[in-house]
Amino acid sequence: MSDVVFQTKGLCKRFPGVMALDDVAMDLKKGSIHALLGENGAGKSTLIKIVTGIHKPDGGTLFLDGAPLVLHGPRDAIAKGIGVVHQERNLIPRFSISENMFLEKLDSHPLKRIDYQELHRQARHWLEMLGLDADPAIPVEKLSVARMQLVEIAKALALKSHVLLLDEPTASLTPHETDNLFAVLNRLRDDGVSMIFVSHKLEEVQEICDRVTVLRDGKNACESQPMEGLGRQDIVKLMIGRSEQIPNWQARDRTGNPPVLELKNITTAIGHRAVDLSVHKGEIVGLYGLVGAGRTELAKSILGKYLVTAGEVLVDQHIAAISNVADAVGRYKIGYVSEDRKTEGLVLMHSVLENVGMTVWQRLAKGVAFLTNRAIRTQTLPFINKLEVKAPSLDQLVGNLSGGNQQKVSVAKWLAAGVKILIVDEPSVGIDIKTKTYLHELIRELSDEGTAILLITSDMPEMITLADRIVVMNDYRVMGELANCREYSAMSQGIMNLIHEAVEVDMSPVQATP
Amino acid sequence: MNSQLANYRESDWFGPLLITVAAIVIVSVFNPEFLSPYNLQILLLAIAVNALIALSQMMIIAIGQMNLSVGAIGGLAAISFGGMMEVWLIPWPVAALLALGIGLFAGIANGVLVAWTGISAFVITLASLSIFKGINLGITEAQPFYKIPEIVKLLGNETFLGPLPWLILPTVVVAVGLWYLLSFLPLGRFILAVGGNAHSAELSGISVAKTVVAAHAISGLLAAMAGIMLVGRLQLGQPTIGDDWLILSFAAPVIGGAVLTGGKVSVAGTLLGVTIVVIINQVLVLFNIDPFLVQVVLGGLILWAVGVNRWREVRAQKTEKRLAA
Repeated sequence: MSDVVFQTKGLCKRFPGVMALDDVAMDLKKGSIHALLGENGAGKSTLIKIVTGIHKPDGGTLFLDGAPLVLHGPRDAIAKGIGVVHQERNLIPRFSISENMFLEKLDSHPLKRIDYQELHRQARHWLEMLGLDADPAIPVEKLSVARMQLVEIAKALALKSHVLLLDEPTASLTPHETDNLFAVLNRLRDDGVSMIFVSHKLEEVQEICDRVTVLRDGKNACESQPMEGLGRQDIVKLMIGRSEQIPNWQARDRTGNPPVLELKNITTAIGHRAVDLSVHKGEIVGLYGLVGAGRTELAKSILGKYLVTAGEVLVDQHIAAISNVADAVGRYKIGYVSEDRKTEGLVLMHSVLENVGMTVWQRLAKGVAFLTNRAIRTQTLPFINKLEVKAPSLDQLVGNLSGGNQQKVSVAKWLAAGVKILIVDEPSVGIDIKTKTYLHELIRELSDEGTAILLITSDMPEMITLADRIVVMNDYRVMGELANCREYSAMSQGIMNLIHEAVEVDMSPVQATP
Repeated sequence: MNSQLANYRESDWFGPLLITVAAIVIVSVFNPEFLSPYNLQILLLAIAVNALIALSQMMIIAIGQMNLSVGAIGGLAAISFGGMMEVWLIPWPVAALLALGIGLFAGIANGVLVAWTGISAFVITLASLSIFKGINLGITEAQPFYKIPEIVKLLGNETFLGPLPWLILPTVVVAVGLWYLLSFLPLGRFILAVGGNAHSAELSGISVAKTVVAAHAISGLLAAMAGIMLVGRLQLGQPTIGDDWLILSFAAPVIGGAVLTGGKVSVAGTLLGVTIVVIINQVLVLFNIDPFLVQVVLGGLILWAVGVNRWREVRAQKTEKRLAA
């Protein structure tokens, strides 16, 4: 195994309440493109952060060219030959291509005149190698995103990287640009460069990668397998197939209740096509799909954040024109528990009371020109108590609470607002099993009391535990709908079939009719 | 290749240059006195000092921060310069060097505090503004130093050629030096890199902390220089020197195309910004207009300048989207 360039063995990383990585191994061969896959929360981003020196592992070792490697920070990782091209661009916009590439070489003499001609000459060599036809003297802000990405690859190569980690490199590229990028990556592989390729787009992974490591729940679902012989369905199965116990709740059918939220043939400005969906009173409808299927985006379209360009949204069987989030909350009583509670859901620097009270301020302020803490307290306390938010006091800063309690606060916030429809997006990311179970009971209870709930989750067991019906999305379209029989293997098979169908539609030469 | 660079720069200057030329033409039509040698001398004297104030702030804007203590550092250096000459009878070149040293030290102190604590420069320099001003008042007891050597008074007011005052010389040297630094020397590029994208600069091996300290050191040095020159021009070691620098120090770089989030400044643009502000001040004197209007016009100019920058940004984003689609 002398051709192994980079290796991880028994990597462990623990965060409060969660084992993010547990005994993870992978090995990267010379001249190879190695796929790293996993759903949200599988530990993929933790592994990336360890490989790039941002996190230190709690256990296990990294090896570079057979020698153990200890990284002191991201800078050190780059210096030791692990180049990274992040999902977001990491260049200095007003600096030229060549200056961006060689910025660190200038460090030795801060007061020695920079020889730009020499920099351009050196840069040209790498740009030619990557087939990037651009003048190294022009500022990178004038380049397209795809070309900036190539500049970053050129920068990493110019720094003599042994390993090149590409994190979602195609996320913001057009299909044509993606093809170009792949041509470059293939050429680099043939020249002996080793790459780790992280992507959610499985068809791309299958096209470009020769080996694959899949993470699931912080463990290896497969370790450095050859891509050959693995079908797309096999990969999906590795990513989402779990054998977790599901609580013994009765299957429910609430479709007899009046519909509270209906989408009829919706098209949105960000790419949803012909989406039909209904949620009835007291019903939990699950939206399942791989990352990038457009579920969160659909939720935000319902909330008025993205424009609905065609079709109808009905709330309580009346056509609703929701133009902004304030409208959605105030007039139509729709609440949204964000997947990103730290930046979208909560104000971490504010107290529990202020966070929960945020949604009732407007209502209270209408009656009495100003807000008193007591008024807010009477309005919100029942909900906080109901959710058993464990905080020393209501004045506790939300940022100091555990993840589970933060999540409860963000749910309490919407209960206080008196919503009839609650959209819950990835509710259990980053919280421990016990709180998760509790949160599940809570969501179920809310639906029993009549709240219509639209649940978005990538966690298959969670989906099968909670949802009454499961709607499967792929590529901004609804692929189909399943009534949940709460039989794990049957349901997961059904869901995977729907996703799989989607791929076949995508790959068939004839364009699918809407 | 170079023409592209020139195009790029030109677009930054173009607005301010147009305004400067238009202002000069219009004002001299209404009042031919405006272009008289004496008035030009007054104009250049004001530009010489104000340019250093603006460049001092510009170096901090370049790293995406603010320096509220520019005026306080200038004031402290000014009274130190005057005091050393009057009380300790130190020869003026030595006193000037020591006063520059005080400015440099004050700037380094700002920079080190910002870099080490991670507290925003706004807060740090707000505090140091108060400290420096306090020291200033403690030393002077709010009384000016009057005994300024004749040679200093002369250098602060007289011309060496036509309407060109002696004071313009150090300013020209500084301006050319900063332009060279920001264009061709790694230190200058690091300053702009840190302002442009600190994270990416750090990953490229640049020490963000050292760069921040260097920028603040330069800023302190230039502020002190402005203070010292103002002592010569006013012929007094006034404790109030620096009190009214703040708005100008931001206005001129911003009018000259600087982006307050950092990474983009222009020495030439800043000089034009200073010129515009100085002309406005002059006009008010020449036409006997109420001084309160200076503030109003200056505020309007700042809004106009950031508005133009913002408009360019939005336009660039729109083109980008069109290209992507």
